[in-house]
Amino acid sequence: MRRHLNGLYNASGALAAILIFAICLLVSAQVVANLITKIFGTSVALTIPSYADFSGYFLAASSFMALAYTFKHDGHIRVLLVRDTFTPKVKNYVDRLVLTIAAVTACYTTYYMALLTLEAYEFGDQSFGIIAIPLFIPQFFVFLGLLIFSISIIDTLLSPLETDDAVLDE
Amino acid sequence: MSEIVLTAGLLITLFFLLGLGVWVGFALTLTGALGMLLFSNAPIGPIMATTLWGHSHSWALAALPLFILMGEILLRSRLSDHMFKGLAPWLGRVPGKLLHVNILGCAIFAAVSGSSAATAATIGKMSVPELQSRNYPMGLIIGTLAGSATLGLLIPPSIILIVYGVATEQSIARLFIAGVLPGLLLVSMFAIFIGIYGLVRPDLFPEEKQSFTFIEKLKGSKRLIPILLLIMGVIGSIYIGIASPTDAAAVGVILSLVLAWFNGALSKSMFIDALMGATKTSCMIAFILAGAGFLTVSMGFTGIPRNLAAWIDTFQLSQFALLAALTVFFIILGCFLDGISVVVLTTAIIMPMIEAAGIDPLWFGIYLVIVVEMSQITPPVGFNLFVIQGLVKENILQIAAAAFPFFLLLLLAVGVITVFPEIVTVLPSLMDAR
Repeated sequence: MRRHLNGLYNASGALAAILIFAICLLVSAQVVANLITKIFGTSVALTIPSYADFSGYFLAASSFMALAYTFKHDGHIRVLLVRDTFTPKVKNYVDRLVLTIAAVTACYTTYYMALLTLEAYEFGDQSFGIIAIPLFIPQFFVFLGLLIFSISIIDTLLSPLETDDAVLDE
Repeated sequence: MSEIVLTAGLLITLFFLLGLGVWVGFALTLTGALGMLLFSNAPIGPIMATTLWGHSHSWALAALPLFILMGEILLRSRLSDHMFKGLAPWLGRVPGKLLHVNILGCAIFAAVSGSSAATAATIGKMSVPELQSRNYPMGLIIGTLAGSATLGLLIPPSIILIVYGVATEQSIARLFIAGVLPGLLLVSMFAIFIGIYGLVRPDLFPEEKQSFTFIEKLKGSKRLIPILLLIMGVIGSIYIGIASPTDAAAVGVILSLVLAWFNGALSKSMFIDALMGATKTSCMIAFILAGAGFLTVSMGFTGIPRNLAAWIDTFQLSQFALLAALTVFFIILGCFLDGISVVVLTTAIIMPMIEAAGIDPLWFGIYLVIVVEMSQITPPVGFNLFVIQGLVKENILQIAAAAFPFFLLLLLAVGVITVFPEIVTVLPSLMDAR
């Protein structure tokens, strides 16, 4: 189970990273296309259709797919000033409280993101660009990222049940 | 009356959640949800989902992970080794001597990286041991490093200006260009300060025996030339208007990969490290931005920012007085919160007040970044202080004390751009005139 969950977080993190590099390649390709158009003065401007839309959707999918990976690698920011003054036992309680708050918020958000995605699917919402992209596809990855994020928070909340130490110490 | 109680309750909730250690993105989202619950009958969940989606797929925001990736690649490409060898020969005879390496090195790295902690770590790793072995006073080594590394926030490309631009719907290209002159102003203020120090207390500075001919100096710097070209290419193409920040960032990533390959630093593991690092950092920021986006929408329902603006308006403060009060407020806030959180909270709650007071939002962005720079070097939460603590193993308060003169210089710079706002606005307006 442990191995599968870690695999899930790493796989979603890897997908997020690939998407970022894909944005980089896509935008660079468009810049090169612009240069070619300028230098050779072709009558028709070379454009990768809807490249700005694609970049944006890749970005959204990447940001949310990376949530759990970033969470597990202690990448999300929080204020530790007060917490660090507590004893390990109190830290344990505070961490559990904080994780519970986070888990509830994440699940709530995931649920409503699922509804939004379903709605986009049912109504067939599309982007307005040259290529009409069905919006439920990028939205599905936002939902999936939130779902994996919720799982990772609950996973952290439940894992070290018997210890008295702080749950979230690196 | 009850509205004031609710507003206070909401703010207390926000700071309670933050203080408890709830992740900033969640704290903002929850406060937004509570605000909507208390002040309106609007459906919270659907609006939350729509806002999260709407705030996360913009073209302008795509510049964020790309600029972060560019910095991550360059900081792994042996750039810092060249920085010392390339800069030191020129500076041995200047008053203040090799301490200027910290200032100029940070300024150059700031122009390829958008983060001040990365700037402090990269430059410090190389310059601190070199300067220590030459017996420069520790306090000044730490101070110049801590102070100059904050330039990473202001000199474009700047991560925090992208955050501000996306949150306030300002043009990121204009914000970048607006940051250029204030950045140069700060570099010269820091350099002049160290120069004067060198003239007043020459006994503190060790003798630099080695002297270089002009040709030797040029040879030492030749490794820096590609970096300088990369910087000019990125900023220049945005300024001329042939590339949007996202375009420039994507090409910047490709060019920095080429540069790393030339330096023999490019490997599969290096690339994966850089890419995963960038993925994490940009996800962290996107999460906070999404939470802040929802908080902003919710604040619109509550009317708190409007009321706050109206309330401040009743005091009939001059712009100077308002800015002075805000500066104090931001310095205190910055002692406890990281820079990005300060910026998103500001844009969610204070922006209408700024606009009502007739302050240019473009100028305010630069002002805000300089104030956030100050918060990077104030205890107890100053990210540069933590980074430098990792490098030199000194007490955090001693590091903060060493950085204090630079805190005052940043404060002075805030005063200068307030009195002469043209320093901020002249380049963007030239850009529009093209």
